[in-house]
Amino acid sequence: MSHPITGNRRSVLIYSIVWLITSALQGFMYWYFLHFPLPVVITDALFSNLLFGFMGLLAWYPTRYIPFHRQSPLYSILAHVVAGLMVLSIWVLLTMGILDILFSNQSDYIEFLDGSLAWRAILGGLIYLVLVLIYYLVSNNQKLQERAQQEERLKNLVRDTELNMLKSQINPHFLFNSLNSIASLTMSNPDEARDMIIRLSDFLRYSLKHRENEFVPLNEEMGRMKDYLAIEKIRFGEKLQYVFNINGECEDFPVPTMIFQPLFENAIRHSVYESVAPVTIRFDCNSDNGFMKAVVSNDYDPQMPTKKGTGVGLQNVMQRIELSYQDKGSVQWRSDDGVFAVTIIFPPIFTKR
Amino acid sequence: MNIIKTIIVEDEKPARDLIRTYLEGFSKLELIGEYDNGFDGLKAINELKPDAIFLDVQMPKLTGFELLEVLDHLPEVIFTTAYDQYAIHAFEQNAVDYLLKPFSKERFGEAIGKLELRIESHVESKNTETGIDRIRQHLADRDEKLHRVVIKKSGKIHVISTGDINFLEAQDDYVMIYTDEGKYLKQQTMKYFENHLDPQQFVRVHRSYIANITCIERIEPYEKTNFILILKDGNKVPVSRNGMQVLKENLDF
Repeated sequence: MSHPITGNRRSVLIYSIVWLITSALQGFMYWYFLHFPLPVVITDALFSNLLFGFMGLLAWYPTRYIPFHRQSPLYSILAHVVAGLMVLSIWVLLTMGILDILFSNQSDYIEFLDGSLAWRAILGGLIYLVLVLIYYLVSNNQKLQERAQQEERLKNLVRDTELNMLKSQINPHFLFNSLNSIASLTMSNPDEARDMIIRLSDFLRYSLKHRENEFVPLNEEMGRMKDYLAIEKIRFGEKLQYVFNINGECEDFPVPTMIFQPLFENAIRHSVYESVAPVTIRFDCNSDNGFMKAVVSNDYDPQMPTKKGTGVGLQNVMQRIELSYQDKGSVQWRSDDGVFAVTIIFPPIFTKR
Repeated sequence: MNIIKTIIVEDEKPARDLIRTYLEGFSKLELIGEYDNGFDGLKAINELKPDAIFLDVQMPKLTGFELLEVLDHLPEVIFTTAYDQYAIHAFEQNAVDYLLKPFSKERFGEAIGKLELRIESHVESKNTETGIDRIRQHLADRDEKLHRVVIKKSGKIHVISTGDINFLEAQDDYVMIYTDEGKYLKQQTMKYFENHLDPQQFVRVHRSYIANITCIERIEPYEKTNFILILKDGNKVPVSRNGMQVLKENLDF
């Protein structure tokens, strides 16, 4: 939290003007009612007021660092009294000491000065109190604003997360293009068309079931991923090849639903879309000491300038693995020699959140 | 009325099958070629000069839009696409028609009807404007960021990743694009590149220059009040006072 006065130029200006006006008023009274000589009047007025003005700025810090405790208001009040007394005594001692030395030859004035100790202290104390109250108001206001900003940020974060979740669901391109392929198949190969409609239905039903924290056996997940790839294969024909290599031990391993879908979708978007030659997507799965290691990989043409993906798919997979397994699972990707591969490690025992 | 020669440019076989089957019902149209990627499609259109093309948007090597940018021969265009909210607006106004996949035979027939009408009216009025120029304009107006640039250079098509561009220089109605592999002339405005290149990476440092800030080796004073960029490839790019301001903000110095 920045200082409410020195924090911006305008308040510094206003604060200085207020103190200059106060100095002028005090000076005028000393000169008009008490008839002190002008140099004395001006020095006293400027010196005591400007010094107080400066020390008043410091009063912000106790306000800032001694928060008002509702439970123990006495503690805060005591702390402020101590801080205030320190500021006041420094101020009174400094002003009176220095003025005493400067004008030791003006006996009238020295007498008046020595007598003014009490009311200087009282007046100073009152002004100090007012300043502290103003600082509390400002600081409270700033805190409220900061809290509002924080809430706004939090709201944005939640909305972004939801948006990403939506984005991770079925891509409309996929749906409409598949339907178009099926429309074409109804004329050339009605049996295959029927088969594809059933696969598409199975896949869509599975994707609707998709919840952040639901787990299914790997077998079921991969069955639906095969549906997904088979549907894409009607569109892309020979261009899309896929090989699944799943160790028998892994078949019942529980995995979050649709965890692999974004990876297959990425593989298709970044390699098959952009290629005229056949592309092979591989899925390899092995178990090791109770851990399961799954790798989705595809080849791609490193020469072809392609759309940089938004990375939403991969990010989503990482987020979900972290949500599901905290730091026990991991997602890694690498891209070299024209092969892009994502490796997910699933831990043996997992706790649902 | 003459036979209307058409070409299909579409990467998915089932989608081509569908259009071909639908076309069999229209005796005025003759299918003279089918291509499964933008490169082959582009070559065929320039050689065979069809009257109309069925054009997919999302294709390997060259998208439908990129193909339109570098086409010499300008046929009528019927877009076929699954889902593209940006493009639909452009299609609605200037293409003969746009078919959203999957489309019915009736809907396809409507598009063919519009196509015949448009070609007939062009023949009568000898108006050769095909609407493609306006489609190009609309595409240029989209606020999608560029990730690659397609350029025709001595009959060859080059696809350049924007990351490979070192800097761009204005040359009348053209822009010269400099890369490590060479320079390429593109008929386009500086404004277009300024708006469509990633502003994190490309800065308009001068009225006539846009520089890739990742290619800057150093910045040197030049004459009294000006500066000049020395790029990693050795090229020098002048910086205007405004350009310096923008550079300072971007590079944070």
